[in-house]
Amino acid sequence: MTEKPATADLIAKNGRIYTVDGNRSWASAIAVRSGRIIAIGDEAAVAPHHGAETKVVDLGGRMAMPGIVDVHTHLMMGGQAELFELRFSNLLRRDAILKLVREAAEKTPEGKWVIGAQWGSDLISTLNTEESLKALDAASLGRPVMLRDDTYHNRWVNTAAMKLAGIDKANKDPDQGSFGRDPKTGALTGVMIEAAAGLIERTIVTSGHYSEEMDRAAMARSIATLNSYGVTAVLDAAAMQPVMAALKGLDDRGQLTAWAAAAMPVTEPSFMFGIAGEELFATRESYRSKHVKPDFTKVFLDGVPGARTAAFHEPYTPDPILGCCFRGTTLATVPELVRWVGRCEELGLSVKIHCAGDAAVTQALDAIDVVRSFNGPTALTHHIAHASYIAPGDIKRFAELGVAADLSPFIWYPTSFLEGHKQTMGVERATRFWPNKELLAAGTLMAGGSDWPVIPNPDPWNGMEGLVTRQNPSGDFAGEALWPEQALDIATVIEIFTINSARVMGWDKTIGSLEIGKSADFIVLDRNVMEIASDEIADVNVLETYFEGRLVFERGAGA
Amino acid sequence: MTAARIPVTVLTGFLGSGKTTVLNRLLRQPALDGTLAIINEFGAVGLDHLLVETSQERFALLDNGCICCTVRDDLVATLKDIVARSNAGELPEVKRVLIETTGLADPVPILHTLIVDPDLSPLFAIDGVTVTVDAVNGLPTLASHQEAMKQVAVADRVLITKADIADEKETLRLERRLARLAPTADRMLVAHGDIDAEKILGAGGFHPEGLSADVALWFREAARAADQADAHGHDCDDPQCGHAHHHHHHDHAHDAAQESAHAGIQSYAFVIDEPVEWAAFAQWLEYLTMLKGADLLRMKGLIHLSDDPARPMVVHAVQSIVHPPARLAAWPDDDRRTRIVFIVRDIPRETVERTLARFASIGAGSISRPARQEELA
Repeated sequence: MTEKPATADLIAKNGRIYTVDGNRSWASAIAVRSGRIIAIGDEAAVAPHHGAETKVVDLGGRMAMPGIVDVHTHLMMGGQAELFELRFSNLLRRDAILKLVREAAEKTPEGKWVIGAQWGSDLISTLNTEESLKALDAASLGRPVMLRDDTYHNRWVNTAAMKLAGIDKANKDPDQGSFGRDPKTGALTGVMIEAAAGLIERTIVTSGHYSEEMDRAAMARSIATLNSYGVTAVLDAAAMQPVMAALKGLDDRGQLTAWAAAAMPVTEPSFMFGIAGEELFATRESYRSKHVKPDFTKVFLDGVPGARTAAFHEPYTPDPILGCCFRGTTLATVPELVRWVGRCEELGLSVKIHCAGDAAVTQALDAIDVVRSFNGPTALTHHIAHASYIAPGDIKRFAELGVAADLSPFIWYPTSFLEGHKQTMGVERATRFWPNKELLAAGTLMAGGSDWPVIPNPDPWNGMEGLVTRQNPSGDFAGEALWPEQALDIATVIEIFTINSARVMGWDKTIGSLEIGKSADFIVLDRNVMEIASDEIADVNVLETYFEGRLVFERGAGA
Repeated sequence: MTAARIPVTVLTGFLGSGKTTVLNRLLRQPALDGTLAIINEFGAVGLDHLLVETSQERFALLDNGCICCTVRDDLVATLKDIVARSNAGELPEVKRVLIETTGLADPVPILHTLIVDPDLSPLFAIDGVTVTVDAVNGLPTLASHQEAMKQVAVADRVLITKADIADEKETLRLERRLARLAPTADRMLVAHGDIDAEKILGAGGFHPEGLSADVALWFREAARAADQADAHGHDCDDPQCGHAHHHHHHDHAHDAAQESAHAGIQSYAFVIDEPVEWAAFAQWLEYLTMLKGADLLRMKGLIHLSDDPARPMVVHAVQSIVHPPARLAAWPDDDRRTRIVFIVRDIPRETVERTLARFASIGAGSISRPARQEELA
């Protein structure tokens, strides 16, 4: 006697299903019950699960594969900007911006903020006058206004905003920042440089400008955007309380359509506000839910190469202010990192360490080496983000120490970022960027991430093409390739964006491949990514996204 | 007040082990004049007969100038308050502090507070931890209460109380057990709480001048305890004890490295036969206390420095707390090798050995386990 096979809620058949399961790479049909895969193989394999209630989807011979897992995103910002903020091009000049501000102010209730982005940082001297501030005040209709620039480092705000932040002309400049003052009159202009910008952002956050409902809506919008590209699992790489609250809030309502891991910053990041470190870790159980896993932390170890804030072994090119031999600096010493990693291990937390320069990578590996030497093996996987400039001697250490390479953002090909690096580091060094093939050969666990919204949209197909071709999929920088010897094959790239990212997030038993017992997260594509020309990968469109067997995105279904 | 820091002695011991009796006797001795005693409560044993004055504030002034008080919300506030009052002339000058913990307390957080708190650390210096263990109930208490075992493991002085009414053999077995749990501590038998204050004070070895004899002593003690444990291992009444011996690994030279299966608490020692670079060693020690502090019950070392071979450095750590290292004027005996003793919970000896070699820049071939006590003596 055999048990009667369980009836499937959903059967998808007649597909070319790439499973990312080494034991069975291809299947044509899949059966789902209660969100989990109960059968996969050919039609005969799923047939016993076909019952009266089973919904059947004909894939029409199209390719399907596991949902994409993005190991590095900043989830809520994109949605907030789309839903609640004024968006304008950095090519707009002052008066055009002021016109948009006035229109936005008219629609904004009294007492509420108008927030917008992004003005070109080349406008600073235009905006930094008493007259410009008066014009902004006039356009604001009494609402507090904050406008971000295109570097995200500076703001332009009106008098009402400064008043709310307690800033007047008697205030001294904050550490590592300054208040813009009219060069002629000395009056404040509302331009907020670097740390001064934080004072305004903090005022907005503490004013309760973003309600929990708004946060949830922004998060839902972000997740919907990700679903439209086939992403069904993400790691938020700077999860402050509002991010985790929004994820949990959506999940409690049955509205979270992706698996979400959260990396809580060990110290307050420069671009987000609120509690961090131990105080934040202590809240994590209150945010845990079926699809939300706050089991990661984030350390920012250095900055970015283009701004000469990443830490390198060799000096940057000479600079009038920094001199001949500046190498950048790390924001923590090895012992400080050891303390954090050790503490996180005690708490069962994996650490994601932002390392943009090769010296930061070395330092992070050194610290993890110390922790491994004292603590022995661990089930936790720590991540080095962004694993892009790596000293040759460090390549093999990733695998030796069990450290994952978080490959993000999608700039594995010539970009304006790379052009900036060439200026600060010289062409030869700048183009030794992303030694992915060497990492692979050394047995490194490599995972794919977007770093959205650092890059404007989280389309992983663009990234995947770049990993294969090392050329810019948009057609920019035509004929150029970035270190083409480091190109990877498409099968490896798909693993990087599915099972590997799942493994790095500690979710490889649940997601990342299509196998019996795993979550039925799969996507249907408009072409077979394994067969098309490599310069066509970025053109792949996701037609349907299923999360736990539920259709959560359908192309052309209307937004 | 001058820069001289006020010595603090922590008196701990399991419930009913005789702490308060000891405290009561100590406070009558002239050596403790000017002592601030901080206790849980004016308990059943009572200090009433010593009290000359009580107040609503849970303060009591003793006739020898001692101040007693119970701990308020927290120790930090209490200490700061009393120092302030003493400086203001409202209370007598505080020459010494004696803190009696609750019977179930872990004394380490108290030490930690005194060393780490930015307001307190300049004012106070840890003098040591004294633990009372009851000769009648000590063995069963140690067998069943993790807290009691930890109190002993971190102590500098172990006072075996009620030995006068305990079975002699039982007391001997207790002593052996204590020797294994706290090989670096001094053990003393006391009856009716009678103990000479001088034997308890200055226990911690935080004054370099008092260290020489102490350091040599505890290292020999550690080796001897291990020897005894070997000789008497069959004696152990805990079934796990014999079991642990079966699992003693690989090497016949573990004599001095007595490992106990009791809650994973074990002690072991190292001899290092090459000069030590202080900077590298200090870095290793920082990592050790950072990553393994919770399980590092005690660590004491006498370090032969490469840049100052005539004057050994004394290092001393309790959990994540490293006491300020002190340099001795001279070696306490003819042996000039670096010697380190550990009392740990679940830190494999190999981990210490391996990390010493990697991070303290010590040649692996120079790190050995001490041979027999004869060689150490």
